[in-house]
Amino acid sequence: MEVFVDGVRVEVEPGATALEAARLAGKWVPTLCFDDRMAPFGACRVCLVAIEGAAAPVASCTTICQEGMQIETTDERAQRIARNVAELVLSELPEPPAGHTELAEVVERLGVGEPRWHGTVHEAKHDARHPYLVFQHELCISCGRCVRACDEIQGAFALTATGRGFHSNVTAGLDSGFQESTCVSCGACADTCPTDAITERFLFELAEQGSE
Amino acid sequence: MSQSRDTHLVPGGRVPGSDPGAWLRGPRPRAWRRLFDVGKVEGTVSRNLIELLTRKGANGGTRTALAMLREAVDERGGVTDDDRRVAAQVSGLPEAAVYGVSTFYDDLTQPRGRRHVRVCTGTACWAVDFDAQVRELEEGLGLRMGERSEDGELSLAETVCLGFCHSSPSFRDGDVVDAGPGALQRILSGTAAAAPEPEWRSVLDDPVLIRPGDYTGLRRALAELTAEQLREEVKAANLRGRGGAGFPAGLKWEFAHKAAGDEKFIVVNGDEGDPGSYIDKQLMEWSPELLLEGMALAGYAVGAAHGFVYVRSEYPRSKHALEHAVARAYESGDLGDDIYGSGFSFHVHVEEGAGSYVVGEETALLNSLQGMRGTVSARPPFPAEKGYHALPTVVNNVETLCNAPFIALHGAEAYAALSPGATPGTKLVCLNERFQRPGVVEVRFGTPMREICEDLAGGLKDGRSIKALQIGGPLGGILPTWKLDTPFDFDELAAEGCMVGHGGIVAFDDRTDMRRLAQHLLHFGAHESCGKCFPCRIGLFRGLEMVEAEGPVDRAKLEELLETLEVASLCAHGGGMPAPIRSLIAHFPDELGVA
Repeated sequence: MEVFVDGVRVEVEPGATALEAARLAGKWVPTLCFDDRMAPFGACRVCLVAIEGAAAPVASCTTICQEGMQIETTDERAQRIARNVAELVLSELPEPPAGHTELAEVVERLGVGEPRWHGTVHEAKHDARHPYLVFQHELCISCGRCVRACDEIQGAFALTATGRGFHSNVTAGLDSGFQESTCVSCGACADTCPTDAITERFLFELAEQGSE
Repeated sequence: MSQSRDTHLVPGGRVPGSDPGAWLRGPRPRAWRRLFDVGKVEGTVSRNLIELLTRKGANGGTRTALAMLREAVDERGGVTDDDRRVAAQVSGLPEAAVYGVSTFYDDLTQPRGRRHVRVCTGTACWAVDFDAQVRELEEGLGLRMGERSEDGELSLAETVCLGFCHSSPSFRDGDVVDAGPGALQRILSGTAAAAPEPEWRSVLDDPVLIRPGDYTGLRRALAELTAEQLREEVKAANLRGRGGAGFPAGLKWEFAHKAAGDEKFIVVNGDEGDPGSYIDKQLMEWSPELLLEGMALAGYAVGAAHGFVYVRSEYPRSKHALEHAVARAYESGDLGDDIYGSGFSFHVHVEEGAGSYVVGEETALLNSLQGMRGTVSARPPFPAEKGYHALPTVVNNVETLCNAPFIALHGAEAYAALSPGATPGTKLVCLNERFQRPGVVEVRFGTPMREICEDLAGGLKDGRSIKALQIGGPLGGILPTWKLDTPFDFDELAAEGCMVGHGGIVAFDDRTDMRRLAQHLLHFGAHESCGKCFPCRIGLFRGLEMVEAEGPVDRAKLEELLETLEVASLCAHGGGMPAPIRSLIAHFPDELGVA
């Protein structure tokens, strides 16, 4: 079927999402919870686009294309609200994201400045018991990518979301660290993590040395 | 109609004579048998846990991880890693996922002493004395909410709405709910007594909802109507969902009927979490047969042989009342195989929640029913297409289904005639303790709010006057007293930034401080956010911090936050919580302190 992204005609398969269409058209749409190796999740809500006829911007990753759909990736309201969401994400972190992370890239491209909210941030909690993988729980933004990578890519089912609301986070096994879980040390979680909440021990130690 | 006090509740114990596991030995959904026969997943990459659970088929077990964890708490006061391992083994969920479940629900995370006291922090209880009872209870028991005494004897926890909003403030000591005047003192002296039941009445001579179910609608449908005719009748009746969203039930039934799937399910949303609402509670406890009849009708209409009622754990009596009604219905042949010799079979299972408001959202409810974390899933797919065990599922609210027997018996035309010139049918509303005559009342759509509040409920007690109403639950806007002539109906309330919602009406009297009300509402919103989507997870918490801080609230920043929540949230929780805050900004800007 054909859809239009910012006026550009794109041919997509039935069932394709507005995000897929936008990317086919070569447009950048910010995402934080999306990873094309896994099923869309619809959690981060920064992939907002305007759809002609829709009352308000929608999350493009979970919006299925309809024949002739007009998708606008540069809609002012969609971008402003995506920026607000990214700003809220920054406000929960005790420190700005490291430059190499996906979060840093999204925040920069969206033009998010210093967050207007200066409230509670996540408490630092590190788990470096595993030989290769390290948790930095305070950097977790609950995008669920590590959990889904573990389930959908590796099939190890070693990770889970924990808690509820602002206090949501992620852990391995029975909160017993990677080594006591069904983790196979594949690194898919660290690979997909957009913030370094799960990272390779080597990189973690390098960063630690750098900050000393 | 009234139930004798606590006949089927023994504090902290099992119900005499009841056999909650009885249905496990009865007929089971085919999907289970098929799924359980599949055995282990062999290296299959699952797209998500629901599909994993579906394929793995719970390892031959019939218990969900959530049910097992809840049992550990009920029987042993808490969840251990051994409990989690056993729950994983039996349910088929991975251990990590079971750990995640055990950190999600209030019932599983609050520490429990041998005596577990809960204090309701719902909006109706708040409206009495603005949580003074919470502070007095904490002081009297020497514990803060969420704490357990060192000797393990006593614990105190917050619970959001026990459904005794007609007699606030309410408390739960073990399984005894005490409420109203003197309740706090009785809790403190360890002499809790069952609270009085509410009044329920109808403005109709022949009520649609305030009546015992007698299965006459089901008898008629099975004898005289085809499934298609029944679907058409419910569609023609324009029966709108009574849980809050107002989606036409007939359309849901049709979608589920048309969806491909070799087995289909009816799931009743009995997770009436709206603080200040006790409509579904009274229906489940006093007219469970009406609900079962409605479920069977839905099953007949869509081609489902199994239904589930998901009841919140805050309503211990509801679960027992339903289980007893199910047992009676099997005996009388109103449920079971080949009902009335029609060839139609329908079986009902009752499941219990574990403390989470967002589980009232249909995708979260289905996750919870399958024993997982009660988080929301993006739609599509809709439950009608892929619901319970990824099979077509109708999720209807309790009250919605209780309308079906009338429609099946009398038809769409008679149903529409009940509320002339307004939304067809009738609606139950419930009124909080502030009113002279609180209770559950069946009203016609279109009735002015003033008539409900002043004529039916007699205005407020203690010579107080209404300052504002919150209608339809925590996601409903706030109607100031000068707009009381607004009719109670979908479009008319929407025009005032309010909603019919689920029909709870909470009056705030002239003593109420609207800044504190904003704090109360956002505390609830932030605490109950499931944590899946970013705007709700972070935004409601930031909103709470904004109204809790000293000094004026930055209006532009607050409105920007509310817009972000409304537009970007995944479900109606984050999307709806701004509505009452917007009302407060519009009608009480000075008191709210926005500048």
